[in-house]
Amino acid sequence: MKENEKKQYLERYKKAKQDGVPWYPIILFKDAVVALLVFLFLIALAYFMGAPLESRANPADSSYTPRPEWYFLFLFQLLKYFPGNLEVIGVIVIPVIVITLLFLLPLLDKGPQRHFMNRPWVTGITSITVIGIVTLTVLSYLEAPPPTEEIKGDSVAALYTENCASCHGPSIAVPEGIDLHAVIAQGTHEGMPAWSGDLSTDEIDSLAGFITSPGGNDLFKQNCQECHQISDLVASNPIDLNEAIDQGNEFLPHAEVKIPAWKQVLTNGEITELLNFLAAPDGQRLFAINCASCHGRTVAYNEGEDELREIISQGGLHLEMPSWRESLSSAELDQLAAYVTDPVANSESKDLFDQNCTSCHGSRIPDSATIEQTRQTIASGGAHETMPVWGDVLTDAQLEALTIYTWEAAQGTSLEIGKTLYAENCASCHGTFGEGGQNPARADDIIAPISSGEYLKTRDNTTLYNIIAQGQPNFGMSPFGSEFGGPLNEEQINLIISFMRFWETNPPVDLPPEVQLPQDINLTGQEIYNTICTQCHRPDGTASAPLLNDNDFQENNSDQNIFDSIKNGHLATPMIAFGSLLTDDQIQELIEIIRQLEPELTESSITPSGPPSFSADIVPILEADCNACHGTLGGWDGSTYNSVINSGDNGPAVIPGDAENSLLAQKLLDTQETGTVMPPAGKLADDVIQIFLNWIKAGAPDN
Amino acid sequence: MVVKLTDWLDERVGWRSIWDNVFKRKIPYVNWLYTLGSATLLAVINQGVTGILLTIYYVPTPDHAYDSVQYITTQVPAGWMIRGLHHWGASAMVVLSFLHMLRVIFLGSYKYPREVTWFTGVFLFLTTIGFGFTGYLLPWDQKAYWATTVGTQIVAVTPLVGNWLLRVVLGGAELSPLTLTRFYGTHVWILPAALLLLLGIHLYLVISIGISEMPKQRE
Repeated sequence: MKENEKKQYLERYKKAKQDGVPWYPIILFKDAVVALLVFLFLIALAYFMGAPLESRANPADSSYTPRPEWYFLFLFQLLKYFPGNLEVIGVIVIPVIVITLLFLLPLLDKGPQRHFMNRPWVTGITSITVIGIVTLTVLSYLEAPPPTEEIKGDSVAALYTENCASCHGPSIAVPEGIDLHAVIAQGTHEGMPAWSGDLSTDEIDSLAGFITSPGGNDLFKQNCQECHQISDLVASNPIDLNEAIDQGNEFLPHAEVKIPAWKQVLTNGEITELLNFLAAPDGQRLFAINCASCHGRTVAYNEGEDELREIISQGGLHLEMPSWRESLSSAELDQLAAYVTDPVANSESKDLFDQNCTSCHGSRIPDSATIEQTRQTIASGGAHETMPVWGDVLTDAQLEALTIYTWEAAQGTSLEIGKTLYAENCASCHGTFGEGGQNPARADDIIAPISSGEYLKTRDNTTLYNIIAQGQPNFGMSPFGSEFGGPLNEEQINLIISFMRFWETNPPVDLPPEVQLPQDINLTGQEIYNTICTQCHRPDGTASAPLLNDNDFQENNSDQNIFDSIKNGHLATPMIAFGSLLTDDQIQELIEIIRQLEPELTESSITPSGPPSFSADIVPILEADCNACHGTLGGWDGSTYNSVINSGDNGPAVIPGDAENSLLAQKLLDTQETGTVMPPAGKLADDVIQIFLNWIKAGAPDN
Repeated sequence: MVVKLTDWLDERVGWRSIWDNVFKRKIPYVNWLYTLGSATLLAVINQGVTGILLTIYYVPTPDHAYDSVQYITTQVPAGWMIRGLHHWGASAMVVLSFLHMLRVIFLGSYKYPREVTWFTGVFLFLTTIGFGFTGYLLPWDQKAYWATTVGTQIVAVTPLVGNWLLRVVLGGAELSPLTLTRFYGTHVWILPAALLLLLGIHLYLVISIGISEMPKQRE
């Protein structure tokens, strides 16, 4: 701008000013109106929209999609067009150029023209820039729409974030064969607390699933969360989970639900991930869910780990199949064998299979190699698999975890080894339960109980170790530590100590009851009996205290025996020597009272008075102990009243009123010669079996 | 009596001349677009007042930042409104100052003799962007943390001094408690000081030179 142009402008401006209006009140009023409108608009936004606040910043959650404030979005979008090494252009070069141009604008555009129509360059470039910014912002929104509000929180991920992420970071690599549930629950390693106090079992299970299969968590969120709580599904039976995924809409509980055929929607890898998430590869839990109903707490097993994996994977052999050549023609046997060997090519024989085999085999066709072999098996019957083919049910990781757990459990846990060592080395003097007794090394010496809570609480592990290792020569105990010439090494002694520590929480020996008697005892025999004797000698009293009205007790003890027991007590039991408290006369009085006790029928107190009810007494037992196999795997079916009575290859299983000849009772009592006792893990408790017997004797009512 | 008092004050403060020069000054005829500047000023005042109120409860440490923001939103009387005004006021400041700048560009107001006013205006705009960027981290929620993580990484792209700059911005190798205190200090001390200084010059120049008139296409 030249000097004369400047002068011209200043004069023109002066004139415009003179023709104008005073700032106060006219312009100020306009400003105030706009400012008020802006302020009201802000209040409306604050009132109706509020200020958003997402969940707490979580540095471990790298899955979060970062999103800058909206007025930076165009820059964010611009970056996308400058990938890799070009990034510097989008990030530095362009912004610096724009800002510099903006800053220098008055120096670049110095002409006297002020109206935008007369300054095409500035107007044009500015317009293009504005349009560009708006377009980029819109594009950014279109390409990555802001995340919608989470419908249901990712509860498991949150659980992980809250409890694990601060130490473990976003993920944990778990070595194979680790019992993750136990690690989390007990906090076995350095500095990690035991979570079992803070987290429920289901929560620990879902964490274990999340850690081993984070992808499964996402799949759960996408496919299952709409209907299922995570706590419903974790650690559910893998057979059910498998069927639900396998059968899609045909899975009975899913029949009414609009769900896709999972097998088509999910890839095999995804299904594995999902299963690993829902039933975490955690041997202990898998064993409890899958195996314990038949096998009890552990499986006795001496072979190698690989053989065990094979057995679990392929299912087991133990029930008898009837000899089909008696009921089927030779041609039918051929058809059946062909169908079993190759179901697709011989589908016309499916009816035959359905009629004869599905009651036990279900829809699963047994594996078979050759037609000849299969025909032989079917014709002659005999042993065949009844244990589920876990290889089809479990994922590889689950199978591995289950195998390792089962194998290790079969090797004997440390507690059991400790128990054996104790029995071999210590029990001869200290008693099986550490109750003590007569000292075999010294006459007139009594070994005090070592299993009482009091004894164990007052001795730490080092003390116990030293006692065992060095012995107590003064009391006739020889050294057991190998460094002192004994038979046990350090590890073995520690195992014995950990076995002894188990007593601390489960004391096998009771301390004498608190006997509070007045100094001057003038009680009658009856009063003494009522206040002292019945503390232990009563139906629900100490297990080791005999019931005094019991026939055996009365017959096997002479008056003198009873007198001695009361006067001198029994060593290492709560039965103390009452001779110091009671006079001989009082003891004689007690014996008379004991002799007059009415024998009672003890059984009546255990078994329920009326005949057992099917729904209240029988069904719960069936569900707990039988139906894990019976019902899903064919053969006898324990799920309904009719099937309990009638189903099975050799049914009816129950002959109402005749317990002795009922197959069900025979299997439970192990009086049936064919096959093994049921459940295979071992006989049920006598009183449980008695409920079955009473029910059958009462005519097996459907009540 | 009142006259006496105002005279006494005027003698010492000179408020009458301020009144005449500021309030009574004549302004050329302008349209409503010329209110954008004062609207921006209102947004600045809004940010200042609500911002100062927020610092009463806000704690700039990673342990407490989120909780204190939550406390402000749920427990402090009208805290939700104060936070809402500050949050939306930030957007308003960016939008209004941007529109104000466009008005200045299109109507050629940056020209002689108002170049310095323009320079301060550009710096004010950059300060506003700085406010937006540093303030975004303070609630310490997921959005804040991750947007800042990504946003600061951009600095590292700068040739030669990129990594050094990134360390300066973050206060370390990565986003940490130091970053939060750094951003907080910048947001409540450095930038406001810069803003006040620039705004003072900006307003002084607007008043002393006078607001530009509406240009005509044919002169």
